[in-house]
Amino acid sequence: MKILVPIKQVATLDEDFELRDDGRDVDPDYFDKDLNEWDEYSVEEALLIKEASSSDVEVIVVTVGPDDADEALRKCLAKGADRAVRVWDDALEESDSLAIARVLARVAEKESPDMVFAGTQSSDAAYSSTGVALAAFLDWPHAAVVSKLDYAVGADKAVFHRELEGGLLEEGEIQCPCVLTIQLGINAPRYASLRGIKQAKSKQLDELSLDDLGLSASDVGAQGSASRVRRVFVPEKGQAELIGGTAAEQAERLARIIKEMRGM
Amino acid sequence: MNIINPAHDPQDVTRTLFQDFSTWMTVSFYVVAITAIAVFAYGVWMQIAKYRRGAPDRGWKMLGHRFMTMLKEVFSQRTVRRRDKPAGHAHALIFFGFVLLFIGTSIITLDYDITGPLLGLNFWHGSFYLWFSLVLDFAGLALIAGLLFMMYRRGWLRPPKLDYARPDRNPDEPDYNRSQYRIEDWAFLWTLVIIALTGFVLAAARMVWLHADPLVWDYRWWSPVATVLAYAFKGVGLTADGGEILRLYTWWFHGILALAFIAVIPYTKAMHMLTAAGSLMFRDPLAAQRLPTVPEEAVQVGYEKVTDFSWKHLLNLDACTKCGRCHEACPAATVGLPLSPRDLVLSLREFANESQWPKLLGGDPSKQVVHGDGVNQIRPETLWACRTCMACVEICPVGIEHVPMIVQMRRHLVEEGEMDPLLQGTLQNIQKKGNSFGENKRKRARWAKDLDFEIKDARKEPVDMLWFVGDYASFDPRNQKVSQRFARILTEAGVDFGILHDGEQNAGNDVRRVGEEGLYEMLAENNIEALNGASFQSIITTDPHSYNTIRNEYPDFGARFAIEHYSSLLDRLIAQGRLSFPKTLNYRVTYHDPCHLGRFNRGFDAPRNIIRALGLDLVEMQRSGDNSFCCGAGGGRIWQADPVGVEKPSENRMHEAAQIEGLEVFVVACPKDVTMFEDALKTAGYEGRFVVKELIELVYEALGHEKREREAADVA
Ligand code: SF4
Ligand code: SF4
Repeated sequence: MKILVPIKQVATLDEDFELRDDGRDVDPDYFDKDLNEWDEYSVEEALLIKEASSSDVEVIVVTVGPDDADEALRKCLAKGADRAVRVWDDALEESDSLAIARVLARVAEKESPDMVFAGTQSSDAAYSSTGVALAAFLDWPHAAVVSKLDYAVGADKAVFHRELEGGLLEEGEIQCPCVLTIQLGINAPRYASLRGIKQAKSKQLDELSLDDLGLSASDVGAQGSASRVRRVFVPEKGQAELIGGTAAEQAERLARIIKEMRGM
Repeated sequence: MNIINPAHDPQDVTRTLFQDFSTWMTVSFYVVAITAIAVFAYGVWMQIAKYRRGAPDRGWKMLGHRFMTMLKEVFSQRTVRRRDKPAGHAHALIFFGFVLLFIGTSIITLDYDITGPLLGLNFWHGSFYLWFSLVLDFAGLALIAGLLFMMYRRGWLRPPKLDYARPDRNPDEPDYNRSQYRIEDWAFLWTLVIIALTGFVLAAARMVWLHADPLVWDYRWWSPVATVLAYAFKGVGLTADGGEILRLYTWWFHGILALAFIAVIPYTKAMHMLTAAGSLMFRDPLAAQRLPTVPEEAVQVGYEKVTDFSWKHLLNLDACTKCGRCHEACPAATVGLPLSPRDLVLSLREFANESQWPKLLGGDPSKQVVHGDGVNQIRPETLWACRTCMACVEICPVGIEHVPMIVQMRRHLVEEGEMDPLLQGTLQNIQKKGNSFGENKRKRARWAKDLDFEIKDARKEPVDMLWFVGDYASFDPRNQKVSQRFARILTEAGVDFGILHDGEQNAGNDVRRVGEEGLYEMLAENNIEALNGASFQSIITTDPHSYNTIRNEYPDFGARFAIEHYSSLLDRLIAQGRLSFPKTLNYRVTYHDPCHLGRFNRGFDAPRNIIRALGLDLVEMQRSGDNSFCCGAGGGRIWQADPVGVEKPSENRMHEAAQIEGLEVFVVACPKDVTMFEDALKTAGYEGRFVVKELIELVYEALGHEKREREAADVA
């Protein structure tokens, strides 16, 4: 029994940052990298199933990213995943979520897992589409934004809850194998200790190239993508201002603003 | 003066053992005695086997010194008297009474069974015998007096620390009930009292029986208590024959009870006579201040199973006398959080025993993992309730090391990834950014930007004193103000100082106490590297937590720095006249000793000297000095939310302070205290009654700066 968990190493922004020269992303000097928050939950869900099962369950984490993404994989290995796969090729640069899902689908075909748990979305790009696209490529059923899961290893059906608008919950069942995208709060993710992360270095981490997956450069990157980022930008500052200080100071500031607005 | 009548042969002035006993009686006695000793020896052997299952400990060094220290502690009874004088004195009576009686009995055995038959050497007669009788007579009296007081204490005084109420279990849980212990406590007292009383009855009966024998009767006043009792017996009409019968029955009763007592020592509360001495001997004087390191190659970290405990910690468990001192001092237990250091120790003791004893004797060797929800297992919420404030370790009369045990168990939880989400977030921040606020590293010294002078960068130019600022004083807005004032004070006193700017990271004291050892190692290594790259004479810190770990724990990572807390520096500067105060403050204040400055590093005096130098009217709280009550922040608790609906330790402290009539300022000397107590001041409802201030702020005020600042503001 295998559970495949695609994860992403995301960028977390500093308070002050600058954009890249081409204006299509943030300057890498201004962000830290970390495991995507949603993926903490999808990994945890797989681990809980593994721990609750009496038969052998293998949890495999996979990511598409350059070598520094190993850090995110190691964190998952430290938590208890059995092995990790990282796919990279410079041609993957500029891939959108569809192209990434295409790569992940090949990994899934290779591993033939019984279940795939993806995070609902990534905290940096926030398309919420990789997991769903992956299901489409595999031609598997999927359920998105799963907030509760009832699944026993080897069962041919899983029962889940999904959060709908207005506090409504949907309970559904789904044929396995399937792709589930996991929502925050479904469980309480465990902590990966620094020692654990160091020791995870001894666990298996395979690096795959596009060749290994039978893909060519044109399947991924800008060519293999259906969408493209034109620019990212900070919207014009709004006109809200929180006035602090003593009552007198507040009054004074307010008076000045009014004067400014009236052009006095 | 010759105390033996010249008409008597000193050889005859003695007590004939087994007088008028038939052979079968003597033989039966020996059979009972040898059986008792065998049962005793088996118990001791079982306990030692239990400790031997534990992991190694670094306590074997300097054995001679350890032994002497232990003797000093045991014979001075110092630790037993602390914070409970009456019980301490009563215990001393029992202890010395028991020890003397034990030595006495051993001397008789030595004379009668060893040196006599083997070497023909008998010494238990004549004047030695008489002095011996006198001493033992008083020893018996002391023993009884001590025991009676203890009975009075348990039966009538009933101090709450002895009631065995457990905060970590609900009354309906199977291991809540401690009535077993109560029965044992009383059985222990009664057994000893009866043994001692029958000893006197026996001696008195013998005197009545042999009163016609001048070798006995002429020397009666060498056993004054027994003699008084003998007169009383005679007074109520006991004859010599009656005395003989009474003596015979009491002899057997007393003898068998005393032997039975010896037999059960290793299985009962009486065991503390041995284990407490062992525990005190192997006690680590820095048990809470300097936590155990983890060898790099260790596959497994922390305490998961009983056998992961060091043998010393297993011995500690058996040393607990259930005195309740730690329970009373513990901030978690005091406010009703699910932790009592006493109950933790007792649960672990029961668990260790159960896992050790064979099934036949009621054990269950399959139980090895101490964590969990089961009977006598330790729950995560119990471990996380601890503030590692050291109040328990500091007061424990038998040297039990709760703090390292708790942290070792937490280390296991951390490796399992089991902890509060808030705490996880903070640890991840520290992993990524080197500070608990999750702020960018570059912002660490931003507080210094508002000063009208530059603070030297000790990485770039040599300084006399390197100021290790710490996270709270660097990033927390309220504490940043204190940091700015401290910088001004140092400048005014002409101290040449600098900081590490963004080279400093969280010192790791609390990370280590959370149990995240890997992260601690990283922080310690990073800071040591930064410190080694700077040029300075000594370190000064405004943060007691950093102070503790740099002072006591960094040496284990190969870095020995001279470091002091700011209070001792200011105290010195004042004494040298480098700081003088144009303004005397006359507030009524009280002072809260921060755990890591006071209890951990015994910095009790310097802050008080400063307070006095400022002219403040210092009124101490009831719990102060080594008995200071933790603000609740320690051990990483400041990074977790306290449960709602339960009083916080800091609020408990505010109520205590509020009892001081006319209190104006609650003085602290730790940034975390400022945060914790300013919050508690509001939630406990004392806002407006008094204020919380860092000692630095008062020093600053007395320097006259506040006034100047206000004037400057007015002019502007
Ligand atoms: S260290 Fe403090 S909080 Fe922890 S058990 Fe001991 S007394 Fe209680
Ligand atoms: S651990 Fe120490 S202080 Fe606490 S009850 Fe036991 S002997 Fe007393």
